[in-house]
Amino acid sequence: MNPFLAQCRASFEAQATQEGTVEGSQRQAEWTRFEALGWPTTRLEDWKYTALSGLEKLSLHHSIEPREAVKGAPRALLEGIPAPRLVFVDGMFQPDQSMIEGLPKGVHLRFWSELDARERERFTQKMAPARALTAFGALNGALFTEGIWITVDAGCALETPLHLVKVSLTGQRMSHGALLLESEENSELTLREHCLGSTDQPAHSNWVTAIELAPQARLTLVKVQQEGLLSYHTAALHGLQRAGSQLQVFAFALSGALGRNDITLRLIEPHAECVLKGMYRVADRALQDFHTTIEHDSPHCTSDECFKGVLEGSGKAVFNGRVRVALDAQKTSSRQSNHNLLLSDKAEVNTKPQLEIFADDVKCSHGTTVGQLDEEQWFYLRTRGIAADLARTLLIQAFTLEIAEAIPHVDVRAEVRRLLGGTVEENGHV
Amino acid sequence: MLSIKNLQASVGDKAILKGINLEVKAGEVHAIMGPNGSGKSTLSNVLAGRENTTVTGGSVTYQGKDLLALAVEERAREGVFLAFQYPVEIPGVGNVYLLKAALNAQRKHRGLPELDAMDFLALVKDKMKLMEMNESMLYRAVNEGFSGGEKKRNEILQMVVLEPSLAILDETDSGLDIDALKVVSHGVNSLRSPERAMILVTHYQRLLDYIKPDFVHVLSDGRIQRSGGPELALELEREGYAWVGDAKNAGVVAP
Ligand SMILES: Nc1ncnc2c1ncn2[C@@H]1O[C@H](COP(=O)(O)OP(=O)(O)OP(=O)(O)O)[C@@H](O)[C@H]1O
Ligand SMILES: [Mg+2]
Repeated sequence: MNPFLAQCRASFEAQATQEGTVEGSQRQAEWTRFEALGWPTTRLEDWKYTALSGLEKLSLHHSIEPREAVKGAPRALLEGIPAPRLVFVDGMFQPDQSMIEGLPKGVHLRFWSELDARERERFTQKMAPARALTAFGALNGALFTEGIWITVDAGCALETPLHLVKVSLTGQRMSHGALLLESEENSELTLREHCLGSTDQPAHSNWVTAIELAPQARLTLVKVQQEGLLSYHTAALHGLQRAGSQLQVFAFALSGALGRNDITLRLIEPHAECVLKGMYRVADRALQDFHTTIEHDSPHCTSDECFKGVLEGSGKAVFNGRVRVALDAQKTSSRQSNHNLLLSDKAEVNTKPQLEIFADDVKCSHGTTVGQLDEEQWFYLRTRGIAADLARTLLIQAFTLEIAEAIPHVDVRAEVRRLLGGTVEENGHV
Repeated sequence: MLSIKNLQASVGDKAILKGINLEVKAGEVHAIMGPNGSGKSTLSNVLAGRENTTVTGGSVTYQGKDLLALAVEERAREGVFLAFQYPVEIPGVGNVYLLKAALNAQRKHRGLPELDAMDFLALVKDKMKLMEMNESMLYRAVNEGFSGGEKKRNEILQMVVLEPSLAILDETDSGLDIDALKVVSHGVNSLRSPERAMILVTHYQRLLDYIKPDFVHVLSDGRIQRSGGPELALELEREGYAWVGDAKNAGVVAP
């Protein structure tokens, strides 16, 4: 057993005995499933280009206390993040740094650690499809220490975004958390998820998110990964959409040693719409992997998916975009694209669209590009006196900005634009 | 201001400029004409510093400096401006952003304070009036979706904002309607001064009706085959370039 797994097992054993029987058996079931699936290696199709040999060697501590008092996230890190916000440090909820007083009446927030046995069972059931996506999902089910359950009442529209902040602070730690988001009919919410690495030591963050949208519910999830340079990030997201609901997911992977996102969105009733947009920026020797699946199970649904990547040095990226249109999902409209900018000869991208279309009356398109920086554009900017470096930065930004521009919430859009641009924010004037 | 001596350049293995000689003094306007593919844009690009064109011989001195030793952006900041024959579209980069960044890069280079947003906007709006351009163009991406004529106008807008010492206009007149040609010429003429020089690459006399050149050169097969005053352009308009072959054999050289 590799050092990483040995620590996982230790954590599992500590928790399985500690808890009541139903829960203990649930953890046991997830652990058994994890063992049956086996540790992901590049021999598996889904992990062909994503080697976890770096993670295997890490012996990471796992704190099983849901609220262990830690020294808290550095103030500077949280400074720009307004209320309402939920702050987790190394997987543990931090009441002192969170600000949730201002939540409107229609938004309910519950914590796993405070649920009774019956509620825990329901929570676990609802998390199951997300946890089923990968082996790390099973691991999450066996080890997770805290979960959040957010319910938005019917008709409740929350104008202010809710911030979920997950900080890897200590280093040499792993964290496993769970998020369940239920939006009732015709409600509206924007959730901004911050994944911040504040350590230069390795860490592993492994969260699982399950979303359920009732008819006409609208939800926007904007996730930005800014993990530490030696850190690992694995995440699974499962979205279930009922009639006329709108789900928009934006995922930005800006830093980290290795990131793997498994995202599955299921459109199970007519006229549901989903937008799935993402961007990965991969530094030298780093890797980002997005495995996405959109399942059109019902007629008259639309999906709009676009991922863009920028790779430097010997950075690697994987994009696997599966779109499945079921036999009776007529009048489906589905778009998918993946565009990559390689800034070095050593960078590598493996992109694979996977269209499985069983219905006949559908509009489906997909496109993939892998290219370099446009020399003509670079030259043009420089002939105007723009420094070579800035010109390069501008062009990279211009390439990715499109993704940020699609974020509906104006403040979140501006904030993400800044994260992508830094010094050249005025450029947003397009 | 600009002294080009026996300049030779190639793209890939192909020799394109085969010994260009040209002297441009401050205050002068030089027109360069010549058949398609003769090397006019290549010459413009070499002066601006395009990397895919390799200089294989000769020298270019600009304001006493070795121009060829300067990076593209340094040349721009030193006052060299190229209006592109085919302006490049840059989706995602705002027109107004580019103008401001370009102007401030140049000011910084000259030890002048950078303009703040207010002063900059006042200046640029003024120049847009001169170019009879709609302000909404400022907030679009650089040249993206601009019509052919709008792109050319945008090039000259950049030029009047940057006020270069040496402006090289590569076929700025092509693609312009008659009114736009007047507006663009007006913009160009507004910059004419004893301290500035211009090189106009064009195929047509009509531009030269509006912007009177001091000298006209004929570039063909990578060499300047003939040079003269404004009357040379009229002669070319009448007679075309059929004579060029003879001139080449006669070994006519530029002044
Ligand atoms: N990247 C390139 N690769 C190969 N040949 C090139 C390249 N760029 C220019 N050339 C060639 O160099 C020659 C000169 O081109 P240039 O664009 O300088 O002509 P020009 O005088 O500006 O023509 P026009 O009047 O049509 O604009 C042409 O034969 C052209 O095909
Ligand atoms: Mg040309």
